[in-house]
Amino acid sequence: MTDWRSEKMARDARIEAGRVHAQGKVVRGDAVVDLLEAVLKPGDRICLEGDNQKQADCLARGLAACDPTKIHDLHMVQSGIVLPEHLDVFETGIAKRLDYSYSGPQGGRIAKMLYGGQIELGAVHTYLELFARYFVDLTPNVALIAGVSADRDGNLYTGPNTEDTPTVVEATAFKNGVVIAQVNEIVERVPRVDIPGDRIDFVVEADTPFYVEPLFTRDPAAMTETQILIAMMAIKGIYAEYGVRRLNHGIGFGTAAIELLLPTYAEKLGLKGKIATHWALNPHPTLIPAIESGWVKQVHCFGSEVGMDRYIRERSDVFFTGGDGSLRSNRAFCQTAGLYACDMFIGATLQIDLAGHSSTVTQNRVAGFGGAPNMGSDPHGRRHPSDAWMKAGHEAEIVGDPALMRGRKLVVQLVETFGDKLVPTFVEKLDALELAKKTGLQLAPVMIYGDDVTHIVTEEGIANLLLCRNADEREQAIRGVAGYTEVGRGRDRAMVQHLRERGVIRRPEDLGIEPLDADRSLLAAKSIKDLVHWSGGLYEPPARFRNW
Amino acid sequence: MRIVTDPGSQSWYEASARQRIAALVDAGTFEEFLGPAERAMSPHLPLFDLPRAFDDGIVVGRGKLDGRPVLVAAQEGRFMGGAFGEIHGAKLVGLLRAAIASKPAAVLILFDTGGVRLQEANAGETAIAETMRAIVDARAAGIPVIGLIGGRAGCYGGGGLIAGTCSRLAVSESGRISVSGPEVIETNKGAEEFDSRDRALVWRTMGGKHRRLTGAADAYCADTVAAFREAAITLVGTAPAFDLATLEAEQARLEARVKRFGDCRDATEIWARLGVNDPDAVPAMTDAAFAKTASSVTEASHDAR
Repeated sequence: MTDWRSEKMARDARIEAGRVHAQGKVVRGDAVVDLLEAVLKPGDRICLEGDNQKQADCLARGLAACDPTKIHDLHMVQSGIVLPEHLDVFETGIAKRLDYSYSGPQGGRIAKMLYGGQIELGAVHTYLELFARYFVDLTPNVALIAGVSADRDGNLYTGPNTEDTPTVVEATAFKNGVVIAQVNEIVERVPRVDIPGDRIDFVVEADTPFYVEPLFTRDPAAMTETQILIAMMAIKGIYAEYGVRRLNHGIGFGTAAIELLLPTYAEKLGLKGKIATHWALNPHPTLIPAIESGWVKQVHCFGSEVGMDRYIRERSDVFFTGGDGSLRSNRAFCQTAGLYACDMFIGATLQIDLAGHSSTVTQNRVAGFGGAPNMGSDPHGRRHPSDAWMKAGHEAEIVGDPALMRGRKLVVQLVETFGDKLVPTFVEKLDALELAKKTGLQLAPVMIYGDDVTHIVTEEGIANLLLCRNADEREQAIRGVAGYTEVGRGRDRAMVQHLRERGVIRRPEDLGIEPLDADRSLLAAKSIKDLVHWSGGLYEPPARFRNW
Repeated sequence: MRIVTDPGSQSWYEASARQRIAALVDAGTFEEFLGPAERAMSPHLPLFDLPRAFDDGIVVGRGKLDGRPVLVAAQEGRFMGGAFGEIHGAKLVGLLRAAIASKPAAVLILFDTGGVRLQEANAGETAIAETMRAIVDARAAGIPVIGLIGGRAGCYGGGGLIAGTCSRLAVSESGRISVSGPEVIETNKGAEEFDSRDRALVWRTMGGKHRRLTGAADAYCADTVAAFREAAITLVGTAPAFDLATLEAEQARLEARVKRFGDCRDATEIWARLGVNDPDAVPAMTDAAFAKTASSVTEASHDAR
């Protein structure tokens, strides 16, 4: 007879083994390794929480300290490879297989380990894609998550950085998995219940508060006039033209410059209320001046940002907050919002090829994707119209019954023709292809596919790829804004001139922008301290961003 | 579309060397020596395939400050971090030597430098030594040399040494004065000794407020060109004489400082010993509140130099 409850029984056995090291659900910080060695089994699928922001770092250290003869060959399914311990477990043999999404700071080491064959790689996903697989074919046996506080029943307060936690817990707790949470403190009563206690099996009192990376803070003092010029072109040539109200911004300096130009440059253009009102965005400190000037109606967040918590509390008309007053973020929902409810994604990249494919992978670094490829893609499941979406759709397809033409998501790449250390952004061939060949990947890690990209903005101008009618035009439109890179110098001058006459390529002067006007005096804030002043002292920047 | 403002109200930190000078001296009085049209450029940088600047990153000339003649030098922090090279240094030394002949009311040095250019290190180091010698000569001839520090690159390396020989210094909050930079200290002594990424620590240790409270700088300005102008006018009028008594007083002051604060682990401990009531509040203080605090610290103002 088939036993339909074997998973359940296995789960009960794991919990029982773990209880030996716990008082009820509560586990002392120094018993983490014992707990994990009791609950985990070789070959388990483990979700170790951590993305580009918060990290279950105490549990990560515990896992790395487990005995590889007891715990080995784990299959890690996790958003981020960020901490050294995330890769240490592959060196010791505790883990073997990996499915992940983002690997910012460990990008160099993960590339080496991939080349060296120490990691058996499943795939590099977008966040939403990996979350989806948690519910289909990558469901975790054990989830190791992070929260701010918990009570003895396991009711969990995640604080402003809720991020991936509800998704990870949902997939694990309701499919016979075990959920272990690290918290900064055990309390009598949590400020708000982000995860109900009956979904949490063990609560570990961490030795230190969980780590959060201030990834979304851009110092206005480091913004250049080139970035300001690009931002001015984007505002006038794209935001204003399409009337983009609902949007997501990437984390680069270009988009941060746009945020700082809203209350100044865009205000002078009379665009207030007409653009950039509803956002799927982390609480970027550089958005503070626009919020304070009444530009922003609403912001839903993937996570929080270090130092922004007090400000968010005091601006609940704009942000999503709980009964306790603090931010409620949710990566899965915000990614969905970015995919389906935003008319534009605008962000930067490291390499763009002649077809418009872009990648942040270079020969020595595999940075992963995070959320950009999800939000930077045209969702074919979208059915609701908006002016921006319809206008973009009509530009792309000019023949046929208008009622049968779908709209297009605006996917904009904002890049300088030469990036860091004067490395050209425009290339004939993406480094990602070389990486795929060397590591035997079936798919090259492409951040945004060329057919999803609608505009490329550089200091030389805007290329509107929607208006290109064939691959040749597309290539010349890209070459036409690629400046003095090899790709740019390889342009067909006559064709680029023709594309400019058609409005496919637009130079600053075509937009009525004088490049010499691109001046730092246009920035609503020129320093982190200015942002603190704008926030009325509510923004508390981390030490590494202070110059006072 | 450009936002037009009163030149005096522009940020010193944000302004270029030329913008600073133009708004610092009396309007329209500045006359540049060896300007960009003369093309006095570094002979060394082309060897390293590095771009040169027509003025080698320093603007020198004469103008009037509150009606009195002054000589002015301003480093451009945005060209190679304002670093000293052969031509750059020679322009500054030449200006200081010209002071002895022309007897201006003061020489103003607008520091914005990371120190010596590695690509022309020997020439740069020599320039530092020659500059210090020339400052001493100018001061001995009765001409005050005033340093103004509030630029992006701060005042580091040889620039920090030169600043130590000036008659008076004015600094803003964002201005930093030191010899070894944060990264250099971290590289040599480790992040436990000095974490260069902890910028609040960097500013507590090297920033304008700390330098003012300990008397290393004699005036503290808001980050505007107008505030620096006002400070410069005041400091020209209060510069101490350059004689044995001043030097002995300076030696005594520095010895006392080491004795009194040598065991402090953080600038906040020094501020507490100086009598600042709430040292932790100092970094976030507004310019006005800080100026008041600084005026209550007796050690911050002295005639040693």
